[in-house]
Amino acid sequence: MYPLSNTRRSFLRSAVTGSLILPGIIEQLLADGRDPFAMREPHFPARAKNVIFLFMTGGVSHVDTFDPKPALHRDVGKEIKADHPEIKDRPGYERIFLKQPQWEFSQNGECGTEVSTLFPHVATCIDDIAMIRSMHTSHSNHYNATLGMHTGSFAFSRPSLGAWVSYGLGTENRNLPGFVVIAPKQTYAGTQVYANDFLPAAHQGTLVVPGAEPIANVKPRVPTDRQRLELETLQAMNLAHLDARHADPELSARMRSFETAFGMQMAVPDAFDFSKESAATLSGYALQPGQTTGFGWQCLAARRLVERGVRFVELIDTGSSGNWDAHGDMMTHVGLAKNVDQPIAALLKDLKHRGMLDETLVVWTTEFGRTPFNNSADAKGREHHPWAFTSWLAGAGVKPGIVHGATDEYGLRAVEQPVHVHDFHATVLHLMGFDHERLTFRHAGRDYRLTDVQGEVVRPILV
Amino acid sequence: MINPRKARNTRKGTKSDGGRMLLFSCISCLSWLSILLVATSLSAADAEPFAFFENKVRPLLVERCYKCHSGTKAGGGLSLETATGWQKGGESGPAIVVGKPGDSLLIDAINYRSLEMPPKDAGGKLSVDEIAVITKWVADGAPDPRIESAELGGMTREEARLWWAFQPLPQNDTDPTSTNIDAFIQAQLDERSLTATGLADKRTLIRRATYDLAGLPPTSEDVDAFLADDATDAFDKVIDRLLESPQYGAHWGRHWLDVVRYADTAGENTDRPLPHAWRYRNWVLDAFNRDMPFDKFVRMQLSGDITDSESAGKQQAEGVIATGYLAIARRFGHDIDKDIHLMYEDVIDNVGKNLLGLTLGCARCHDHKYDAITSTDYYALYGIFASTRFSFPGCEPKGQPRDLVPLLKKSKVDGLMADYEKRVAEYEQQSQLTANETGRLKQLAAESFRVLAEATVGEGKSVSLQQDSSGPLDRIPMRKGEVLQLAVLPNGNHGADTTRIELEITHLGTDVQWNVSELIPAFTKGGPAIRRNGATWCLLDVTDGPVYLHEKKGAIDGQSSLSGWAIGGTPSSIVNASSDPVSVWTTLPPLSFFVHPGVGRNVAVAWVCPEDGEYQVQGVVSDAHPAGLDGVSFRFEHFASPEYGDGLVALGALASAKASPRPAAPAIPVAYAVAEAEPKNERLHRRGDPEQPGEEVPRRWLSAFGGQAVVNSGGSGRQELAEWIVEHPLFARVMVNRIWHWHFGRGLVATPNDFGSRGDPPTHPELLDWLAARFRAGGYRVKPIHRLIMKSTAYQRRSTANAMQLEGDPDNRWLTRFARRRLTAEELRDSLLSASGRLDLSVGEAHPFPPEASWTFTQHNPFNAVYDSNRRSVFTMVQRQRRHPYLALFDGADPNSSTATRQSTTVPTQALYFLNAPFFHEQAAALAESVEQKSDDAARCEFIFRRLFQREPTVAEQEVATTFLAKYPGELHEKWSAYARILTASSEFLYID
Repeated sequence: MYPLSNTRRSFLRSAVTGSLILPGIIEQLLADGRDPFAMREPHFPARAKNVIFLFMTGGVSHVDTFDPKPALHRDVGKEIKADHPEIKDRPGYERIFLKQPQWEFSQNGECGTEVSTLFPHVATCIDDIAMIRSMHTSHSNHYNATLGMHTGSFAFSRPSLGAWVSYGLGTENRNLPGFVVIAPKQTYAGTQVYANDFLPAAHQGTLVVPGAEPIANVKPRVPTDRQRLELETLQAMNLAHLDARHADPELSARMRSFETAFGMQMAVPDAFDFSKESAATLSGYALQPGQTTGFGWQCLAARRLVERGVRFVELIDTGSSGNWDAHGDMMTHVGLAKNVDQPIAALLKDLKHRGMLDETLVVWTTEFGRTPFNNSADAKGREHHPWAFTSWLAGAGVKPGIVHGATDEYGLRAVEQPVHVHDFHATVLHLMGFDHERLTFRHAGRDYRLTDVQGEVVRPILV
Repeated sequence: MINPRKARNTRKGTKSDGGRMLLFSCISCLSWLSILLVATSLSAADAEPFAFFENKVRPLLVERCYKCHSGTKAGGGLSLETATGWQKGGESGPAIVVGKPGDSLLIDAINYRSLEMPPKDAGGKLSVDEIAVITKWVADGAPDPRIESAELGGMTREEARLWWAFQPLPQNDTDPTSTNIDAFIQAQLDERSLTATGLADKRTLIRRATYDLAGLPPTSEDVDAFLADDATDAFDKVIDRLLESPQYGAHWGRHWLDVVRYADTAGENTDRPLPHAWRYRNWVLDAFNRDMPFDKFVRMQLSGDITDSESAGKQQAEGVIATGYLAIARRFGHDIDKDIHLMYEDVIDNVGKNLLGLTLGCARCHDHKYDAITSTDYYALYGIFASTRFSFPGCEPKGQPRDLVPLLKKSKVDGLMADYEKRVAEYEQQSQLTANETGRLKQLAAESFRVLAEATVGEGKSVSLQQDSSGPLDRIPMRKGEVLQLAVLPNGNHGADTTRIELEITHLGTDVQWNVSELIPAFTKGGPAIRRNGATWCLLDVTDGPVYLHEKKGAIDGQSSLSGWAIGGTPSSIVNASSDPVSVWTTLPPLSFFVHPGVGRNVAVAWVCPEDGEYQVQGVVSDAHPAGLDGVSFRFEHFASPEYGDGLVALGALASAKASPRPAAPAIPVAYAVAEAEPKNERLHRRGDPEQPGEEVPRRWLSAFGGQAVVNSGGSGRQELAEWIVEHPLFARVMVNRIWHWHFGRGLVATPNDFGSRGDPPTHPELLDWLAARFRAGGYRVKPIHRLIMKSTAYQRRSTANAMQLEGDPDNRWLTRFARRRLTAEELRDSLLSASGRLDLSVGEAHPFPPEASWTFTQHNPFNAVYDSNRRSVFTMVQRQRRHPYLALFDGADPNSSTATRQSTTVPTQALYFLNAPFFHEQAAALAESVEQKSDDAARCEFIFRRLFQREPTVAEQEVATTFLAKYPGELHEKWSAYARILTASSEFLYID
């Protein structure tokens, strides 16, 4: 773009006295590909334009929710042997016994997939869901498994799935970030679950904490008319500075970032302002008018963000305590399921109703399952179980109403068509139009990718 | 894992025998060398012929020959370290003719025939027996297991030998000048027909230099003085002044902290604070200020605890503190010890990148794919660090920190401890009075007790007192001073259980009631004996006579509504004072009262009767934490002895009034550092899995660099490692490149942490070598290198380039100009504080972490804090798992891995910071307050421009300001605050030309 022509130079000068909106200039200045937000083409035509990633913190019991195991009722109390990471050398766990699920399962929809009574609303959407009952992961600790589910790495910090998608595709709406995480609290792996790590910082997840100021610093501290005055003078000053420096693209990018930020101050509250949503929509999500917290709020916010072009929205239901980690009492699953069940179903139906489900991939997962056994058959809780759990996908490019893979008769091991976290990631990237082996970033002397050196796309669940 | 190197395996295979070849083609995912080692060690048939070699020959070679004939500088070119070494031989040809001692040069030499080996100055001729051993070995065919691969990881030995970064440095003894630097740069410019920009103006130069050396803007006085100084050495004086300022260390120390991934938390699942890590941080800052020779700086970080162990107090302490470099390695997982191999990887990875520019960490699971680093190299270093005791930060299953290193001489520590023990003894003696009383009460209890109810409470179950009472609980005759006591027993359970107690006692007749729930609101206000309505509630350990739960606990598990009384962790009695349930280790219902027995300890709540009469009791005992194993038991008793109750009340008064708590351990200053441990070699981890141990790997230096063994018996080998590192030419190359990078924004090698084959080659190799050699010749002092670089024309160029320069040198690889840069996160924050006049230049020390004894961090409630301060940003508390939001926003260093190059991103959330961040607004408002002191707008405008940009406003700028101030609504302070925001948000403020 260098050098500036005389016309351009005088154009810039004339703009010094212009308004905040500097029509076209910054766009032209940035046309050299240095813009981290620029839209980019995926490797092949994508089935999904957006992802809504629903993460249930703490480890949801598969045998009590989406993976029915009649044999656990039949053989309850039977002693089994397992070389399981959670019971190894653990006092009191020298012997383990099968524990029966506490909720009934029934067939649902036309596909007849079984779901337990913990998720009655999700059950009504079952014909849109591809259930993967053969998930497994590489670690039985919360931290490691949570990190793994988000970054493909079970120990070290790496970029998260959302950051990779943002890096691969750029952003559609410059007034909103490309990757948004809505979380009332932090998961076990802290900010690392939405970190860009070595990817350019533009791709880090922007944290939205439900409540009064969902994004930090987004609330104007001075009235808009005053702020506009300040910005006009600032941009004029910056433009003069830029002009003396041959339109250094970094400086012009910074000028545009102010325009974007100014826009975000409006766009963000607008995205989170539900006042124009119908009463029917709100009640569908189990929301009271004016409510600004709760998983229903998160789900509706996710739909509104996707509508506005945000690529990747992750919803985290709970933090590192008071979550699905039911060591003590499986009955805590009741409240946690109730918290998310209706909102999730509402989201799926709302997306479908608006024709958005064709382009939006909805992912539901957790970090690991829970043991089908415990150290006594009448123990109230279940332990961490990395060997098997259930996740599901719905929407863009996903075969609706199917079940993929299976665990053994007790839900102990994923035995049919097992899907590792890396395979799961490869599949999500595939739906976004990426070959997971080619979506790489050169860092510290080698090419890194989300799936490390593994991962296979789960083709049977694709349309 | 798929090994794409099948073809290479085949090529290598031709060099080995057919039997092993089979193995290679069968298992392609393990690296060649590790297979070879495995094959060698597992083959029993092979082991026998080596017995003689191992028992007799190898020790002899190590002891008498290796000193000269090993490593890269093997004497006469002959290495006796490997079979290949003697097969290839030295300058005089192969050393051994297999099976023919008579024809072998080696035998000739040890018999002092042609050559005389070992020579007289190396211990002289071998004994007759020793010569016989060598001769027999050669005659038997010289079986030698030390088969050496021709390849080291991703390079052949030959490629490694010739790799540019491993070459010796040239001599550089001439008097160096900055002109030398410019000559090297000019040569590259000429070759590409590029011309560079002219010199920057003085104002730009001093601002650049001040940020560059101190991380702060110059004051307008500094600028005026420099502008007024026409002497030819005016800029030299500026550099000298800045290098002498303590702010230099704060800035360049921060660079080093980037590389060593400094953090104030451990990084394991609870992200515990490291309350002593700051000593290392401050030592780094101080070392830069003192211009400590860089080899010494690095030796101390690797082995200061050993080298300075004999020194006097302060220096010894410094040696220990310096090893904080190793100790701050990141910890992983729930139980750190289970993932300790990852900590060692973090150490090896950092030592490699940081000090050698080599990605050693890549060789954990397999040989390096591109560089001359093998997996055995990795485990050779692993053994050195595994022979070192690292301070332990604590973790959820392993409790509090330990193995911190005292900074006082042992004698001093012993003195303090003796005094402490004396005070403890006195305290114990006082407590003994109580113990006597406890004994008396125990006796009274045994004589007067009557069990009213007892039962076992099953896992998660509730049992009411009535249900299991042996007699009626609705009419208990009692005298004043008699006691009702509900004791909860752990029921053999190893961890016992949180047990909810609901208990109500009613005086029949008056209907006055006492209920444990009335204790909840002010539970820890007084002592563990609580008077209510004339009666006294007592919280007791009743394992062996009554002892009060005398330790007060607040905000248990980080929850403000949980408080209680305990002895140690358990037994305890706690309450949830919130009207909401609280989720901690279990969910505690609102407004609830609990007791928690300890391991083998019984806990009780007792009630001392206030007046004679008949009483009715109702109560329920519930196992409130059903994750335990076997529930709890309880026993509800009546002690029909007024003396017992009076005794409890008196004891309670003592427990509540106990003014002198147990004496605190003496505050011995400690460092988070390392010490020597039992030396041991590590076994190779196959595929990086510590549960699949392979061959033991002796501790030694990298094989590509000679592979010298750790010989110092009894030590970890850190001291030798430090020597090997600082003597290697990479050491100087890597550091001068970092210095260059931190001055110019781009290194001569653009990948400062990677000088291997995947890194970038140097743009100016001769300049890099010249600087490295100069660095070494100058005693590895850093400040002279700053002077050399900053006095060069290259450093003083303008940052504004013309079209030809931009097109011909788009990345500024050839230094056609000075690279404009954004302020770093720290520079920006410090500049804002400096603009507001609030910057506190004092040295920060420890962070205000909660006291160690109060830590109850778990993975569910990890440590998380942000501490505000107006000190320089280098003193900000840096967390590993939850990044400091400001540092994350402006591309601060990654506290989890070595940051060689800061990113410089431009994102809208940064712009939001300049629009709406409270800190930003506060600084602008404070700046406005100073501005308002001036008499009129012109003076104010001048003042603010000088403060922020160290220059006068132009006429046009004055006009813009006037227009803005006129248009902007509000009071003077609002106007000037707004204008201050504009200026501090401007690109001129944020960028350095």
